[in-house]
Amino acid sequence: MKQIRAVMVGQPNVGKSSIINAISGARLHVGNFAGVTVEKKEVTLQKGEYDIDIVDLPGIYSLKAYTPEEHVTKRYLIQEEYDVIINVVDANILQRNLILTLQLLDFRRPMILVVNMVDELEEKGGKIDANMLSTLLGIPVILTSAKEKRGVDEVVDKLIEVYEQKVCECKLYYNEKIEDEIEQLSQILLQSPHFSDPNLARFYVIRLLENDEEIYKIVHDLPIFLELHEALGESIKRLKLEFDADSVSDIFADERNAIARSIVMQVMIQPQKETLTDKIDKILIHPIFGLPIFLFFMWTLFQITFEVGSIPMDYIDETVSNFAAWLKTILPAGDLNSVITDGVVPAVGAVIMFLPNILILFLGINLLEQTGYMARAAFLLDGFMKKFGLQGKAFIPLVSGFGCTVPAYMAARTLKNPKDRLITMLILGFMNCSARLPVYVLFIAAFFPTTSAGNVLFTIYVGGAILGLIVAKILRTILFKGEPEPFVMEMPPYRFPSIKVLAMELWIKAKLFIKKAGTFIAGAAMIIWFLSSYPVNEQLQSQYEQKIVQAHSEAQKVLLQNELAARNLEYSYLGQIGKTIEPIFAPLGFDWRLSVATISGLAAKEVVVSTLATLYAVGEADERSDTLISKLRENIDFKTAIALIIIIMIYSPCVAAMSTFYAEVPQWAWRAFYTIYPNVLAWLVAFGAYHLLKILGY
Amino acid sequence: MKVTQMKIGQSGIIKKITAPEPIKSRLFAMGIAKNNRLQLLDHTLKKQTWEIEVEGTRIALRKEEAEGIEVEQ
Ligand SMILES: Nc1nc2c(ncn2[C@@H]2O[C@H](COP(=O)(O)OP(=O)(O)OP(=O)(O)O)[C@@H](O)[C@H]2O)c(=O)[nH]1
Ligand SMILES: [Mg+2]
Repeated sequence: MKQIRAVMVGQPNVGKSSIINAISGARLHVGNFAGVTVEKKEVTLQKGEYDIDIVDLPGIYSLKAYTPEEHVTKRYLIQEEYDVIINVVDANILQRNLILTLQLLDFRRPMILVVNMVDELEEKGGKIDANMLSTLLGIPVILTSAKEKRGVDEVVDKLIEVYEQKVCECKLYYNEKIEDEIEQLSQILLQSPHFSDPNLARFYVIRLLENDEEIYKIVHDLPIFLELHEALGESIKRLKLEFDADSVSDIFADERNAIARSIVMQVMIQPQKETLTDKIDKILIHPIFGLPIFLFFMWTLFQITFEVGSIPMDYIDETVSNFAAWLKTILPAGDLNSVITDGVVPAVGAVIMFLPNILILFLGINLLEQTGYMARAAFLLDGFMKKFGLQGKAFIPLVSGFGCTVPAYMAARTLKNPKDRLITMLILGFMNCSARLPVYVLFIAAFFPTTSAGNVLFTIYVGGAILGLIVAKILRTILFKGEPEPFVMEMPPYRFPSIKVLAMELWIKAKLFIKKAGTFIAGAAMIIWFLSSYPVNEQLQSQYEQKIVQAHSEAQKVLLQNELAARNLEYSYLGQIGKTIEPIFAPLGFDWRLSVATISGLAAKEVVVSTLATLYAVGEADERSDTLISKLRENIDFKTAIALIIIIMIYSPCVAAMSTFYAEVPQWAWRAFYTIYPNVLAWLVAFGAYHLLKILGY
Repeated sequence: MKVTQMKIGQSGIIKKITAPEPIKSRLFAMGIAKNNRLQLLDHTLKKQTWEIEVEGTRIALRKEEAEGIEVEQ
């Protein structure tokens, strides 16, 4: 077997990840905006005698990396070992894409060019001559459509072919005067014993002429650095004079733009039709109507999430309760019976119940990602967000936060300015993730009339977002003085989302969710059950048993049994833990059970629901199969429910999210701040709300 | 004429770009380069954020950056 390692490089949103999916059947995340892939992902496949390893990298506009995720790509290109570069370009915007291609060709490494999205170009009446393009660039060119799976197999064939040839036959050169300087400087670099490859020397020199800091750091330690540095200064001076330019970067920029333009003129028949995107945009980003339309979309999404998602909810809830009751009768009495029927089944059931809501929410977020509306929303909100010290592009990680906070922290890599990025990450926890949806839906269903449920849910999400903006403003004025980074963002054309991709993404989400419920949440439930069932107070037990025997009526018996169960629960480990932390939450009206549930939410937010389900199941002795919702109504009052919702909105996200934050932010001070402040803030706001409601007489 | 002085729908050829690095390189990488054709597509209500099209790419940018781009009809 021969090993080939190939890297996917191209500007953002050209379809790199889509092509890998089409070639290999992988399920990399794709979306119609720049910056979907933010870390490297590897996919392996086999073809004949070759083991091919394809590395998907974040999109990069130019080798002058700008944002952190672009630096991931650049660092990979410069430092890692690989055999072939697969450069992907978008046929619709060939000229702009070719500029990066020209920069990559400076490497003079084995490379192929994949011209993707030809389906769109042809649909508009355009055409590209692949042979001509290949002749001009000196590398193989393949026309593909990842959407229609056209030409994707050929990518693998050409990849192997180029791998076997080992050389790049690129014939492109810059202006003679520039090439002369490159040649001179290369000679100096090649004097160094570490340097024997003239191609690499040429690449380094070009980068140095463009004032590339990363390459500077590499050559800085070479013994010939001083000589090189001096000669470089001379060359730059000469070139600036010759071309009457402010910097050599500008010279290369003009040079590459001119080459790209002339290539496009030779190989492309330009499309004629006016695109649909222009027409849609006239409405969706209309100066006046744009923003209201956006808010309406969001409102509708939450209405549907609650209304439609709740239709099967009662039914699932009831089925689970009945199922647990039925299991109770057929399993032999004892601990096994109890751990299953009081511990695992109610807990897992209480979480699974919300699968429909979560899928609807994800469908909404996915549509936002796939259609291209995401970038429009960022455009519409930029001015508004600027007032709070953020920029429109931060909208993208913030929206991902409505799905899951973990990838959202990663998505913040698309923000260049470290301050902007940190502020965004510090407030991301206030964007309610889908794991919190079960808690909200449960409490809304229990404490609000169904007519206003969707609006309450919408209010919670908007409330979280507004709180996030206010905190961002405070952070910006106190801790991160300075202006947010400039906002420059590509707006992709609208694309009709592929039903297959949507279905696939939802299926993956559903599978992950069920798996999480079946493993992580079931495990947590077992721990909670154990902690809430042991130790058993023998004395108490026998005391009550006596009383029960002596009881006069059935009703009294039941009463005593319930009392015993409740007192046993208080005596358990969990009860003891709960009693210890109760004072912290007592001012918010929480009893120890709610306190325990809140703390357990740090493991995962769904666990709040499953813990409540277990605690209320263990705490009741009778066989009545009450639903969780009615138990909550019996045990919790309105203002406490509100305080709980507020706590869940604000306090620390789950451990998975926290560890992602720690991985992305190296500074200890920020980690500590991040760990503490949301919890303090959550308590204070909940306290305020609780007492306000009390004064109002709730 | 600056981009911010254009009317929606108007187009022209880019003549000069003034912006500090690294924004200048970024603008260039997105296709905003000398001699390319630019069309103004839209702006928000308060003219804070602008949308232009250059050689097939739609780009959103702020007033500050848009002011640095000069076009000729
Ligand atoms: N019509 C059409 N759409 C495509 C094609 N390839 C990809 N797309 C769409 O283009 C968008 C971008 O695709 P991605 O695969 O996420 O692009 P990427 O290059 O990985 O993007 P980044 O990770 O952000 O750099 C998605 O909406 C895809 O569905 C194609 O051949 N034809
Ligand atoms: Mg990608």
